[in-house]
Amino acid sequence: MRTQSDSIVDIQGLNKWFGALHVLHDIDLTVASGARVVVCGPSGSGKSTLIRCINGLENYQKGTLRLAGTTLGLNARETAAARRQTGMVFQSFNLFPHLTVLSNCTLALRRVAGKGRGEAEDIAMAHLEKVRIPEKAMSYPGQLSGGQQQRVAIARALCLNPRIMLFDEPTSALDPEMIKEVLDVMVALARDGMTMVCVTHEMGFAREVADQVVFMDGGCILDRAPARDFFGSAGHPRSRLFLETILKH
Amino acid sequence: MGFDLAFALSSVPTILGAVGTTFCVALVSCIGAAAIGFFFEMVRRAGGVAGLTTGFVIDFIRSTPVLAWLYFLYFVLPFYGIRLGSMTVGVMGLSLYYSGYLAEVFKAGIDAIPKGQSEAARALSLSRRDSVIHVIAPQMLRNIAAPLGNYFVSILKATPYLAVLAVPEMLGRAFDIASETYRYTEPLVVAGLIFLALALVISHGVKRLERRLLAVGAR
Ligand SMILES: Nc1ncnc2c1ncn2[C@@H]1O[C@H](COP(=O)(O)OP(=O)(O)OP(=O)(O)O)[C@@H](O)[C@H]1O
Ligand SMILES: [Mg+2]
Repeated sequence: MRTQSDSIVDIQGLNKWFGALHVLHDIDLTVASGARVVVCGPSGSGKSTLIRCINGLENYQKGTLRLAGTTLGLNARETAAARRQTGMVFQSFNLFPHLTVLSNCTLALRRVAGKGRGEAEDIAMAHLEKVRIPEKAMSYPGQLSGGQQQRVAIARALCLNPRIMLFDEPTSALDPEMIKEVLDVMVALARDGMTMVCVTHEMGFAREVADQVVFMDGGCILDRAPARDFFGSAGHPRSRLFLETILKH
Repeated sequence: MGFDLAFALSSVPTILGAVGTTFCVALVSCIGAAAIGFFFEMVRRAGGVAGLTTGFVIDFIRSTPVLAWLYFLYFVLPFYGIRLGSMTVGVMGLSLYYSGYLAEVFKAGIDAIPKGQSEAARALSLSRRDSVIHVIAPQMLRNIAAPLGNYFVSILKATPYLAVLAVPEMLGRAFDIASETYRYTEPLVVAGLIFLALALVISHGVKRLERRLLAVGAR
């Protein structure tokens, strides 16, 4: 039985420790289908850890995390199946340097989704076109700029047709002039109705696409608000302070 | 006792007759050592009791002399009813012994791969096996081509140990000529030169492999 079939991620009372270090405190977060959640907060506040829990890259010790109707961590096979509903984009791209752009995209299609070569390449090319980089299909990641690599990483994550995309500071490793090309792709993705959880400090992006902004500090969610309110006058004093510091740059 | 070129040349065909044996033993041992070493490293990496045990085995292998392994396999196993040919024992001994070292080389090669690579593989739902085959191993090979080549040359140079098992390898053949004729310089020099040539072939091959691996995805 699937309750709340309209929420893809349902986190309740989530706690995580790294050894003795308590990094996530009683996190509650629901991500409805089609929602765009932006997570921000100072360094070390647990943003990456939270987003990595959502696709099971990190385990958790207390609370529940339901992804696409499956409680993660109970059963390895079910957890793996649920993870298949997610796509993840990392700060450092993490493209496979020994494979061409096209092979980066087709690898999971062939090995995980079991597609044949031709079909996999068609799907991959369609996504490379979506991120506006089809002409680099035969290049290697090392031959691309950072912005191009990140767009390829987005295409690669989209290939398995995920229901939710997770972004962990996708533009923080980029030179300023490349940030826009990546954000444009992400905005287009949001317009297409993709469910997204995005750790970012790009407040322009948050203002444009987010329907919820979550502010974390010290492993807690201190503030959450619809984007309009978050950037308005309301909100937690700590998130106001944080907003002021990052908007100053 | 000078160097008699004519005598040296006359010993070449006999010594060359064993070059096939030496090369085959070295080649099969390289493959065996690489396969066992990679397996060891994978088990060690997986951790748990099996991983700890394998780590101990790797350290144990590396702290024993290769001759001990050859003697052990050749003289002790028959007591337990396992009787193997001297060539088989030789290849097994060299493979096992060098697998300990190659496991360490593989470890260094894998440790040098950024953590994000296996995380990206997991995020894409690749199985552990596919991640090793398609993501980790190719990058590992690229990182370790040079030390791997050195160990392959070491394995070649270790084949004369198989003389204790009466495997007709090259240095033994040269030594036979020497003890029959009481002329040591020429056969040993000839054998040395052939070893040099084989080593050059191996390191050239590995360098080419390295260049190809590096050319792929060059930055
Ligand atoms: N693998 C790990 N082992 C131990 N501690 C960790 C590990 N990963 C993160 N931490 C710790 O957990 C806390 C939260 O880290 P996390 O990476 O989630 O923060 P973050 O909000 O993403 O920070 P940043 O903005 O710098 O990326 C930090 O104190 C960090 O040192
Ligand atoms: Mg982070």
